Amino acid sequence: MKAPERIETCDVAVIGGGPAGLAAALGARRAGAREVLLIEREKALGGILNQCIHDGFGLFLYQETISGPEYAERLIEDVAREPIKVETGAMVLDLSPDRLLRVDSRAGYRLIRAGAVVLAMGCRERTRDMVGIPGTRPAGVLTAGSAQNLVNLQNLRIGHSAVILGSGDIGLIMARRLVLEGVTVKGVFEILPWASGLERNVRQCLMDFAIPLELRSTVVEIRGRDRVESVVVARVDDAFAPVAGTERVIPCDTLLLSVGLIPENELSKRAGVELSPLTGGAVVDETLMTSVAGVFSCGNVLHIHDVADWASFEGLAAGERAARYAGGERATGASVRISAGTNVRYALPQLVTAGREGVEWSFRVARPLRDASVEVRGKSSGRVYARRKYPRLLPSELQKINVRTAVEEDIEVGCHE
Amino acid sequence: MNEQALVDCLTCVLCPVSCELEVRKGMSGDLEVKGNQCDKGIPFAVEEVLRPMRNLATSVPVRGTSARMVSLRLSRPVPREMIFPILAEIEKLRPEAPVRRGQGLLANVLGTGADVIATRTIPVLSSCQPKKSHSMPTRRKA
Repeated sequence: MKAPERIETCDVAVIGGGPAGLAAALGARRAGAREVLLIEREKALGGILNQCIHDGFGLFLYQETISGPEYAERLIEDVAREPIKVETGAMVLDLSPDRLLRVDSRAGYRLIRAGAVVLAMGCRERTRDMVGIPGTRPAGVLTAGSAQNLVNLQNLRIGHSAVILGSGDIGLIMARRLVLEGVTVKGVFEILPWASGLERNVRQCLMDFAIPLELRSTVVEIRGRDRVESVVVARVDDAFAPVAGTERVIPCDTLLLSVGLIPENELSKRAGVELSPLTGGAVVDETLMTSVAGVFSCGNVLHIHDVADWASFEGLAAGERAARYAGGERATGASVRISAGTNVRYALPQLVTAGREGVEWSFRVARPLRDASVEVRGKSSGRVYARRKYPRLLPSELQKINVRTAVEEDIEVGCHE
Repeated sequence: MNEQALVDCLTCVLCPVSCELEVRKGMSGDLEVKGNQCDKGIPFAVEEVLRPMRNLATSVPVRGTSARMVSLRLSRPVPREMIFPILAEIEKLRPEAPVRRGQGLLANVLGTGADVIATRTIPVLSSCQPKKSHSMPTRRKA
């Protein structure tokens, strides 16, 4: 490949044009960035919102409940009103620590140097290989999101009777969608003792249509030569091992997988961004900056969100911070580390500049909790910086806690019943 | 011991507090709601038990494009039992491009007071390339 001679420049480059990236481009403009470049791999902006035709979006950003495509179009219209350079059908192949982007675009291979970069690449679904389901390898095994694309955007019938493994939100949404399209849904099987998706979706997508949800159970075998003919489900014990003698054969021609989402951080890794094993996304400070100076992260590439609105709010913040970085603003001072304590899966940001006031943490609990008290506590002093009580906390719901006072030491976010 | 029959247990979805509501039927036949932390919880639970309201989202092909789909929903929720009858009406729809976001495709569907509205804009000239040439005018060789 012949290297282009010219290196283009921009103030802020946003990688990914979904709910987080669109908002990041807007945020960068609001904070005064002159040249903002928004790069999207697909032909159109909007990301996964385009195939999420159900409602429930926009409650926080637009104060009304709308569908994914409507939410996307509104954001896209806001972007179109700004002098933001949008490149669709363009893929960033490489990102260097000094923010040089190698882009395969419609105009060919190009080099772009950015004053700051916002990572907003989103996530992808875990596949059959990643959960290791034994059996044959017939057609008819799909992730819930690819089924959503085929049904909603391509008008294809994916099968006649389906089993869904995993109770993530997309799986629940697709259970209802398939019933509406005339596909029989035999049941949703979840290995955990609780549903992974939002409660509202369990009620409106499963209970409304009398679709059984079986907890503590999983698919232990896929059968069928060319096409799925049946799956074998079984109960699991506390160590998630199938219990012998509980196997049941369920005839079906389709198996949908809704078994988790993984932030898509291949580019971040190439740039040398430190990733958290707890979130699968970057380790960031309170400005959403990663371990690589001038590279920011937001949305599902940072951590998995259950509501698109929060990904957009995070995008706005990341875009604003990126613009300020590109304008020369630098954080000063040492940083303190934040860790996840009892019953907390993760807390984000993981780093905060010492002495910073009014930091808001996102966190997710590790298991359902009742009458829980969340504490932000100093690791050396034992001082409680913030405490908040919740009647109920679920792993499916991302929560926020604000700390008004300045934090001067390493802290831990913990939760007790 | 409990003279009130438990009708339903549900979580209120009106706000993030997510109150766990218990709906019981009293001797008089009236529904009684417990567990709500605010006044909104009572009508929510009663409606959810007596007459649950739902929205509906689906998509239909658009004429004048190369098999592009327009997503749609109802302008407001309808009684849950109307979902399948309304779906049967929507299945007949084949809107013509261009379709504008928010455009009504079917007014007051089955007398429910809800309109079927497009949730996406589909321009006439779709960026999607046609899969087969039959939709394109064939040019004769000179």
